Amino acid sequence: MKMMELLLELTVMPLLAFTVGLFMVLMMRKIAAKIQRRVGPPLLQPLYDIVKLYAKETQSSHGLLHDIGIVMAVGGYIAAETMLPVPGMNGIADKAGMLTLAYVTMIPSLGLALGVGQCANPNGSIGIARALTAMLAYDVPFVVIIFGASWLYGSNNLVEVIAAQQAGGIASWGVTQMPLLAIAGLFTLYAMLGKQPFEIYVAPAEIATGPMVEMGGKHLGGLFVMQCFQLFTASAIYVSLFLGGGENWLFFIAKLFAVVAIPMSMAFVFPRYRTEDVLAVVWRWPMLLGLIGVWLVMR
Amino acid sequence: MSTLQSIPVVAPPAEEPSGGGNLLANVFDELLAFCRSRSLFMLHYCTGCGAIELPPAMTSRFDMERLGIQPMVTPRQADILLVTGYVSTKTLKRIILTYEQMNSPKYVIGICSCTVNGGMYWQSYATAKKLSDYMPVDMYIAGCMPRPEAVISGLRELMENIRAGRSDNWRDYYQRYDHYLGNQQRLFGEHWQTPTDVIGEARHYGQFGPETLGEHTALLERHQTPLLPFEMRLGLGDVSKGGKS
Ligand code: SF4
Repeated sequence: MKMMELLLELTVMPLLAFTVGLFMVLMMRKIAAKIQRRVGPPLLQPLYDIVKLYAKETQSSHGLLHDIGIVMAVGGYIAAETMLPVPGMNGIADKAGMLTLAYVTMIPSLGLALGVGQCANPNGSIGIARALTAMLAYDVPFVVIIFGASWLYGSNNLVEVIAAQQAGGIASWGVTQMPLLAIAGLFTLYAMLGKQPFEIYVAPAEIATGPMVEMGGKHLGGLFVMQCFQLFTASAIYVSLFLGGGENWLFFIAKLFAVVAIPMSMAFVFPRYRTEDVLAVVWRWPMLLGLIGVWLVMR
Repeated sequence: MSTLQSIPVVAPPAEEPSGGGNLLANVFDELLAFCRSRSLFMLHYCTGCGAIELPPAMTSRFDMERLGIQPMVTPRQADILLVTGYVSTKTLKRIILTYEQMNSPKYVIGICSCTVNGGMYWQSYATAKKLSDYMPVDMYIAGCMPRPEAVISGLRELMENIRAGRSDNWRDYYQRYDHYLGNQQRLFGEHWQTPTDVIGEARHYGQFGPETLGEHTALLERHQTPLLPFEMRLGLGDVSKGGKS
């Protein structure tokens, strides 16, 4: 019985994450449209795009690694979803610590690097080199933040961190207990989502969408699915660490969307950084705030 | 636009898919056709002046995204190839390379009179006159240049055709490859070849037609040089003399 329940959770959690992610993509495009005074896409547009891409009749695969890369990119996030507690379901979150989660969220970038390598397109290689640089940039402050949160709540386990926050109400939420780390976390989340000005590896006008340059049909569809998961994962980690997780689905979803909306409403008014500037900015400000925050927490 | 009968139309409209009496038989296909029509990624190959009408069609004023149409940057990702203006012989080669790299179902839209019949470049020795001689065109939007309203209404008509299953011209390129290749060879010479193996693709995806092979593909096979990976070479050769290595 226990086993069946777990299996059910492992199936349902990624599906829910994907559904929420679809609407996050929609919200992102709507925000962009509103900022540019446009109407924006209809409600189910992200779904139409994905179905359309999977319904392509000819495919342009560049070989086995190209296909496996996409599977790794989506699979890495599916694995991550099972370690992120959502209201009512914990999946395998209490067996996997936050560091495991941080590792698992790196798999998609590595998978993409594999796949794009086989496309042998110079734009793709530049893009993936930049994507890995960006990952290096935001993962260092991310680990600092995880360290601070685990120190404060005395646990490396997301389930316990969320339980500790929910027990004490808003006063014990991460955002009130460690405001500096929360700000650093929002900054890191922004860099993680890879929107302007951190959009160095997509850069459509410069390197023709970088890693996505040779992706069409099912491959691009896989990346669109991955984007839904990425938005959900990044915001769910933030909500679990700083906003007390989800008491119920209503609050949980409201928090998730609020967290994504903040960087998105800033993103579309910015141009793009250069690669070295991303490193400089992310290693300077969130790092500084994060380290001070950790010092305050440990004092 | 499409109501003008004089415009060269390549393929006769395909038959309406028949449900065979069973209402649910085509549900899946219709769902796919609907999603295809509501999500069009376009690659705009801005060859001529007509391209200037696209930015207003895409941005705040006319906002194509509300119809699910958005620009993409590489042929692999795109569904629509927009050719916006006169097509010179040299450009046409690139357009064909681009077209062959796209994943089917793919659609070609010729914007501007110049793609329909040469327009005001009719007498030029350097422009290709009818785009539909060289690749199947799904929709022509005539005008010199067509306003964004015309572009959008043309795109809406294409969406309607896709949803009804009438825009299957990409199959025509496979099924009558000999015809298109012949026209290409007439313009570019008999040594013309593209990196895409269209005949192989037609075979693989079951799109082989009676006119896929013919005298022109035989000519292609005679002149075809196999595609080889670039030779890896270290060193730049003698750069100081400015000659090739
Ligand atoms: S039809 Fe007119 S506007 Fe369009 S490319 Fe030709 S000359 Fe330019």
